[in-house]
Amino acid sequence: MLPATVRYRWRRQAAGYAFTGPALLILAAFLLYPIGYSVWLSLHEWDGYTPRWGPFVGLENYRALVADEVFWRAALNSIVFVIVRTPLEVGLGFLLALLLNRRLAARSLLRTLFFVPVVMSLIVVTIIFQRVYEPNTGLLNTVLHAVGLGAWAHPWLGDPATALPAVIAVSVWKNVGFSLVILLAGLQGLPQDVMEAARVDGANAWQLTRRVITPLMRPILALTALLSIIGGLKVFDLVFIMTRGGPTYSTEVLATMLYREAFELNHMGVASAVAVILVAVVLSIARIQALVLRESREIEAA
Amino acid sequence: MGTVTDRREAHGGARAMSRRRLLRLGVLAATAPPVVLRARRATAQIGGAQPTPAPAPAGELKNPAEFRGPKIKASGPTTLSFWQYVGFHVEVQKFIAEEYKRRHDPNLSLEITAYPGLNEQRVGVKSALAAQSPTPDIIAIEPGAYAVDVSTSGSVLDFTKVFADDPEYKRGFWPNALDLLTINGAVVSVPAVTNTVIVYYNRSVFRQHGLEVPNTLDDLKKIGATLNAKGIIPIAYPAGQDRNFPIFPYYTYVGGIKADRLLREADLGLKPWTSPELVAGAEFVEMMAKSGLYAKGPLGIKEPDAIQIFATGRSAMFWGGQWMRRSIRAALPPGFDLGLFPFPAVAPGGHKPVLSSVGITLTVNARSKQPDLAFEMIKAITGAWGKIEYTKNLGLSPNGPISADAIAYQMQSLKDPLYPEFLKLQPTGTTRVIFTPVVEEAMTQGMQALITGQKTAKTVMESVEAASQKVGTRKFRTG
Repeated sequence: MLPATVRYRWRRQAAGYAFTGPALLILAAFLLYPIGYSVWLSLHEWDGYTPRWGPFVGLENYRALVADEVFWRAALNSIVFVIVRTPLEVGLGFLLALLLNRRLAARSLLRTLFFVPVVMSLIVVTIIFQRVYEPNTGLLNTVLHAVGLGAWAHPWLGDPATALPAVIAVSVWKNVGFSLVILLAGLQGLPQDVMEAARVDGANAWQLTRRVITPLMRPILALTALLSIIGGLKVFDLVFIMTRGGPTYSTEVLATMLYREAFELNHMGVASAVAVILVAVVLSIARIQALVLRESREIEAA
Repeated sequence: MGTVTDRREAHGGARAMSRRRLLRLGVLAATAPPVVLRARRATAQIGGAQPTPAPAPAGELKNPAEFRGPKIKASGPTTLSFWQYVGFHVEVQKFIAEEYKRRHDPNLSLEITAYPGLNEQRVGVKSALAAQSPTPDIIAIEPGAYAVDVSTSGSVLDFTKVFADDPEYKRGFWPNALDLLTINGAVVSVPAVTNTVIVYYNRSVFRQHGLEVPNTLDDLKKIGATLNAKGIIPIAYPAGQDRNFPIFPYYTYVGGIKADRLLREADLGLKPWTSPELVAGAEFVEMMAKSGLYAKGPLGIKEPDAIQIFATGRSAMFWGGQWMRRSIRAALPPGFDLGLFPFPAVAPGGHKPVLSSVGITLTVNARSKQPDLAFEMIKAITGAWGKIEYTKNLGLSPNGPISADAIAYQMQSLKDPLYPEFLKLQPTGTTRVIFTPVVEEAMTQGMQALITGQKTAKTVMESVEAASQKVGTRKFRTG
């Protein structure tokens, strides 16, 4: 017979496991198993059609990736995507949040307008922007011609030099509203007494923003940035619909490379290796995100 | 249109056919001797000649072909699943399936799933096949790499036995189309339609500026210069549509110099991609990109954009496929005088290359629980009666010869003067298919690099050859 305290602890833990069990099972079936399966597949050769995977090839798929210049191109593009998108998305979101945090007549309307792209279907957004960027009749070039800047008119998506920036611009336009909402919520939660004290001390708007608001908002800014980084690394649909990674791999990112290797070239092993690398990177960043969140909670508690 | 001699040469020369014989093939296909079929098998073209439509008599015509009943019927209520990727084909497929049910097999229904595009459908099919699913029973596949994938993995059934049991059904297809779908000796799928890539043009703009349909590349360049001087874009070319479009000019040139068989051999790893003819194809792509003939930034232009440019009169020509006919018609304003012509001869004295291929093709899942019924349904859709209904509905070219009466019947409801034009061009078609996925990818990227001026023709073809060599000996043969 077990002692009463042990039985009590076991009963308490059993109840906990019973409540979390279904969720853990779902997590294991739909997250852990696919990740594990992808790792396993990345060590094999498989065309994706036959019911059984092909021979075990060890790290050969990873070696092939390292030697593949398209992989490095895709990795670089993913990094550029993140490096360019995140500051723009968070920076613009912060500026707009500061603006909308003031007492403006059309504040609610503006907030809604900035958030509309976030809730719009991505397919619709990409189709609209394809037409905007169309070199001959597209809105952007038409406007440039109309304002006397015809020399700047350009085949935006058809030129490898401008295709990636053009896609990033759409991504920023689509997601800036999301950053705005998070940051606005953060601004509205800032301690008013601190702000008031700064104003009493004679801080002007710029000083208030730079010396008080920004430091207080740092954890939320970091969180928004991390969400943007993860979103940027995972980007697939936008690129795939707009350019399919082209022209000449100029917009190829890791996720589109993964798709191409898996479903167009039938290299499921290589595609799985790309997936494993991508998951590893995203998980690492998610870990950083968790640390940042913990830090923010500690700051709040202090 | 090419001359008789051109066409003779275009058919491979092994057993050159006169126009009269080509026309006879259309009418007398059912009695054509096997030797003719074997001779045509050596060619790379897809399609054949159709007869001139008979003058339509008064009154409503009927489909002159017999809708033959199946050899096997469902013993109880049965639903076949069919996954395809061309939304605008659903209506006619449904119509034929319902007629089949009404006339021949009341227990058999067809459930069609139309994916939004080929990529989505291919992903779905791949997952189903890998999971050994008996669904779908019928699968739509593209010729080329897709056909190779499903065939070499043993995922689909061979039509050889079906053809052996019903030789008349087999004779209903263009032999060269079946050739394109024959992998390692097995007929992987059968085509529902054939189609071409041609140049649509705005007749009014041509008339207004005194332009004639070009016969040679020089003619086309002159037309381009005239139109550019008037502020009209010569050709809307949607090179950004998918990964096959950037290769169209290449196929065009290679077909135009009758090197399409060489292309196929290179595709199969039997000849180098760096041979002078194939490098010349890349030079042609480069030249076209720099010629000022295309609307600016072709790689940033998708099909709807190009159609809009053409329909609004911004461009005088549109280089596209027969399958776009409906979208183009839908976009054109009333009174738009639409015409078409084959791409002009790319070499002096050469023929006019019309890219041609089978359209959607149908096959049976090797794990289907009703393979015989699935074959019967495919026979209904692609057989003598079905093909006339199918192409009447869509204005695409049939998968094989049909009679003059059948064309007259189709024209009664189609009322599209372009349809007979497409039929006329079909026999002059040249390939636009690559079987090896890695090579196709290298070609797509290479052609994009040529269009954007990033690489030279020689370096592009060297990189294609490197990709081809990396694949090594192919595990499949075609035809």
